[in-house]
Amino acid sequence: MSDHIARGEDFEKKAEKKLSGWAIFGSKYEDAADLFDKAANSFKLAKSWDQAGAVYVKLANCHLKLDSKHEAANAYADAAHCYKKSNIKESISWLEQSVNLFLEIGRLNMAARYDKEIAELYEQEQNLEQAIVYYEKAADLFQSEEVTTSANQCKQKVAQFAAQLEQYQKAIEIYEEIARQSLNNNLLKYGVKGHLLNAGICQLCKGDVVAITNALEKYQELDPTFSGTREYKLLRDLAAAVDEEDIAKFTDAVKEFDSMTQLDAWKTTLLLRVKEALKAKELEEDDLT
Amino acid sequence: MSQVFDSYERQYCELSANLSKKITSANLLDGEQKKQKISEVLGGFEDGEALIRKMDLEARSLPPSVKTMLLAKLREYKTDLNNLKTDVKRITSANTNQAARDELLESGIADTSMTSADQRARLLMSTERLNQSSDRIRESRKVMLETEELGVSILQDLHQQRQSLLHANNTLHGVDDNIGKSKKVLSNMSRRMNRNKWIIVESVFPFHFSLPQFFTSSAGFLLGSEFEHPCHSLVGCS
Repeated sequence: MSDHIARGEDFEKKAEKKLSGWAIFGSKYEDAADLFDKAANSFKLAKSWDQAGAVYVKLANCHLKLDSKHEAANAYADAAHCYKKSNIKESISWLEQSVNLFLEIGRLNMAARYDKEIAELYEQEQNLEQAIVYYEKAADLFQSEEVTTSANQCKQKVAQFAAQLEQYQKAIEIYEEIARQSLNNNLLKYGVKGHLLNAGICQLCKGDVVAITNALEKYQELDPTFSGTREYKLLRDLAAAVDEEDIAKFTDAVKEFDSMTQLDAWKTTLLLRVKEALKAKELEEDDLT
Repeated sequence: MSQVFDSYERQYCELSANLSKKITSANLLDGEQKKQKISEVLGGFEDGEALIRKMDLEARSLPPSVKTMLLAKLREYKTDLNNLKTDVKRITSANTNQAARDELLESGIADTSMTSADQRARLLMSTERLNQSSDRIRESRKVMLETEELGVSILQDLHQQRQSLLHANNTLHGVDDNIGKSKKVLSNMSRRMNRNKWIIVESVFPFHFSLPQFFTSSAGFLLGSEFEHPCHSLVGCS
């Protein structure tokens, strides 16, 4: 391993010398770029991510001087990948640079992909608002490239985080939109009931009973098979329980659904919120009486 | 006439009591004495059957009201005699297993409390089996739902891959066009390069008449071709 580090540093010094020295017209940046690339490779093999990242950044600068923005953007992306292992903030900043360069060149696909990576990094750090921002950017870029599946995936994440941050209306709209789009597609139509369930849960969190019943009818119109599914039964029971403010009924319905398919963490959090809202309402009523 | 019947009846009762006594004693005994008793019993059977036949004749000759009653009695006596016969058969059977088996089966049918306990046990078992099968059905339903979810996610992945493949297809068409263009450009360049080489060679070693005229025209050719066309086509590609 130390062998690689030594080799890497060797390459780096050579490249620096090339840059600072005076050489034949134009080729000095290319040579330097080449040497930087080799240096970064050796550092990666040696697993010294910081050094590798730094060298990649220098490589990107060389490419910029050579006016090959594509190469530069790629180099920034490589740097960001190296930094992912050690320092996430740095990595995010280099990814942003890379995204900007790709946008300038017009390679929206790559830009969207790196935007999604940034959003994932923010998600890891639990910084949900930033994550939403970047997922939205990524979704827009994917949409403009007509890659609807990736766009839908990003939008789904946006809706998930929005619901966690209590931006329910946004989440509902996104889920309904996705469901509508998926209906026409033979491959995706089996996922529709999942999306409608998520939308329904968000409606419950909003707490507006009339809206919930309207929404359920709307979903039935959208998808005729929805009314036969367990998801629809669950939503109907939950709506009834919220209407009657009956916590036992609520818990029963949730338990029945859970016994068949395990509820994931997101759904559990939201349903817990609804239940607590119900409890709070009950307590309020007790206070009044 | 019923007197005759009554006397026959009395005789038969005596006979059957006798026979049953002899059978039980023969059961206890063994070997030669058993055989003796059994032969006595068989003789008694024959007498009994004769009596029953006589009683039958008597009963039929009597008026109908009495007849039915007497015939019923007669039937009872016949079954009684048959039972005695089966008892004897049981005793005489050399196969003790068979005797024990007959005893077992007879007692099993006769004993009602045992059957109810048996039925209860059987019903409990079947209830338990039904519960088990309903549990298994529920488990399989869970597995089916999980499989369905897995299938849905696989379909989503497939959709994504389909879109990337289509995109790659389109990009490759573009690449194809560009490669065609660059091929033309390169062939152009190589042609001009060859032409220029020949021109320079001919200018050093003149084969033709008017040297300077050719030189200026070839120079103009050089300048015009090299710098204009390849650059334009390259810009068009990128």
